[in-house]
Amino acid sequence: MKIKALVTLAASAAILAAGAGMAAAYDGTNCKAPGNCWEPKPGYPDKVAGSKYDPKHDPKELAKQQQALDDQSARNAKRAEHFKKTGNWVYDVSKL
Amino acid sequence: MMKHLGKGLLAGASCVALTVAMGSASSTFANDKLVELSKSNEAWIMPGRNYSSQNYSENKQINTENVKDLRAAWSFSTGLLHGHEGTPLVVDNVIYVHTSFPNNTFALDLDDPGRIIWQHKPKQDPAARSVACCDLVNRGLAYWPGDGDAPPLIVKTQLDGHLVTLNAKTGEEYWKVENGDISVGQTLTQAPYVIKDLAIVGSSGAELGVRGHVTAYNIKTGEQVWRIYATGPDSDVGLMDNFNDANPHFGQKNLGTETWEGDAWKIGGGTNWGWYAYDPETNLFHYGSGNPAPWNETMRPGDNKWTMTIWGRDADTGLARFGYQKTPHDEWDYAGVNVMILSEQTDREGKKRKLLTHPDRNGIVYTLDRENGDLISADKLDDTVNWVKQVDLKTGLPVRDPEFGTRMDHRGKEICPSAMGYHNQGHDSYDPTKELFFMGINHICMDWEPFMLPYRAGQFFVGATLWMYPGPKGDRQNYLGLGQIKAYNSISGEYKWEKMERFSVWGGTMATAGNLVFYGTLDGFIKARNSDTGDLLWKYKLPSGVIGHPMTYEHKGTQYVAIMYGVGGWPGVGLVFDLQDPTAGLGAVGAFKNLQNYTQMGGGLQVFSLDGKNPYSEDVNVGEYEG
Repeated sequence: MKIKALVTLAASAAILAAGAGMAAAYDGTNCKAPGNCWEPKPGYPDKVAGSKYDPKHDPKELAKQQQALDDQSARNAKRAEHFKKTGNWVYDVSKL
Repeated sequence: MMKHLGKGLLAGASCVALTVAMGSASSTFANDKLVELSKSNEAWIMPGRNYSSQNYSENKQINTENVKDLRAAWSFSTGLLHGHEGTPLVVDNVIYVHTSFPNNTFALDLDDPGRIIWQHKPKQDPAARSVACCDLVNRGLAYWPGDGDAPPLIVKTQLDGHLVTLNAKTGEEYWKVENGDISVGQTLTQAPYVIKDLAIVGSSGAELGVRGHVTAYNIKTGEQVWRIYATGPDSDVGLMDNFNDANPHFGQKNLGTETWEGDAWKIGGGTNWGWYAYDPETNLFHYGSGNPAPWNETMRPGDNKWTMTIWGRDADTGLARFGYQKTPHDEWDYAGVNVMILSEQTDREGKKRKLLTHPDRNGIVYTLDRENGDLISADKLDDTVNWVKQVDLKTGLPVRDPEFGTRMDHRGKEICPSAMGYHNQGHDSYDPTKELFFMGINHICMDWEPFMLPYRAGQFFVGATLWMYPGPKGDRQNYLGLGQIKAYNSISGEYKWEKMERFSVWGGTMATAGNLVFYGTLDGFIKARNSDTGDLLWKYKLPSGVIGHPMTYEHKGTQYVAIMYGVGGWPGVGLVFDLQDPTAGLGAVGAFKNLQNYTQMGGGLQVFSLDGKNPYSEDVNVGEYEG
């Protein structure tokens, strides 16, 4: 039902667009602020949280990349420190 | 986490101060040495040949008159299959060749190229293969000329996320740092870049939700000097106080979070795995950040800054002077990482400008003032581009045609360009005497339908099904006519000539003062065209398709042209991994289903010269065993 409504909406949007242009369709030129011109498309939510398009991201998963990079940077810093002291690069941090 | 990040940035800043205080004299020296070396016809010491990244050689020994006499001089097999991108480096009578995964490096003696001086063969976790989106490719090496403290170094990336420096004379590892973790989907495929005493390296993995980062390491010590991100708080993105003050309408502060909903920027993409250019006078380096994640646009409302952005960043601090977002709220995977080529030209108002020109995935070739970001021109790569009606030069905004957008519960059809772009990773060329850019172009359109999916670190996070096929000027029945090559003037917007190709011209081009433009094709040819007219003057059948770009060097008075062969990359994934489903390989399998009738996998270097002159033709005893 909902999908059908969307299709109809899209179809009528296309017809309108072909005519006088359409304020409702997202064409990227109506800006809330400089560099911030996104608008939801007709029939789609302004915020996806709580909608059927809610990605429901797990904060633990979202944090994993930063943790991995921070851990790598910490290991790299130890390696570089040892390199500056000894002139030898030792990759295996357990041997430093 | 914010606190932690702040601390990291502070540490980075103090490192910068240290570097500047300790090594400014030698930094300038090393920088000048690279500039000086890049002027020699006997060297090719960085991707793009010089900091302007023009892939242009003044050498005209090989020219339109004699190119028909160009013959194979010698060749070298890398011993590996899969896509062989990028191009070798030549310095001090040595040619340095890189490979696909596991990213071996070879140093060959130009006086006797049959002799491998040294080889570096990394041991990598084979699991790295499984998180590479688009074949096991690598775009090349960088070179640092050395100073009193450290020897000349070859700088390389590995798919498993390491940045490695090698002693250029011996191949021994000098240092090796972790710059990406495959367990969270991060890999490295690009060529690193050397500016002063810094090794700069980007990131890959937007198809696995990786938030893009760029990092500089002190080349002598392996210490991290700075790291910036494509999305998130301004302190992470790294903005100068006067960021975009010449073009405030591009956006300025806080947009790395405000153009996202919630924390979606943390897995927001914007990786940069393309090419760099650098202007020593402004100390700015230029590159483009990639696509936002996931491909499903409905899951990430907002402009998604600062993905899809052309950057001008200070080499010493990483901080941005300007950033121009080409594709706000990407809906097509137009990863904005393509080549940056610098030039000095007079604009339409008669003003001399220092420019950068950038043919993007989204079908627009952009030219900006590279000192402040002023938008000079934004022309369609082909008149069949349809997602955008035009780019408004005043506002800088692309005027979208909603009919060719994408969204959930909808199959977008006949969208041009496709996700593979009308231009991809090929490194093109610019002839400064003709003021022409020679661009290897794709002619591929698509249907696109997104789907919902969760984010799990280390897993693919794409969320779209694609059907790709030749554009309107190709042969849609027989799936041929997927490429073009064109000569373009970025001020007038005119194309001096345009030629169709059977497949995408994926690898880029190289231009010379001999009035020639060279490029490789996916069906396994290296071709030379007259750069004034586009007329095809010469071609040679290589063992396999090409996804790298040609280079040229002079050795002992003879000009050579070299090119890697070995098909692969995104267009080759069907052939490489034996896939048949047209939507597999992120939609590339269908578009390139005919590629396998023209080429198979390979991997090596082929070198050419007039009449095939080479060290062995000159003296048959060169390289012989003398027992």
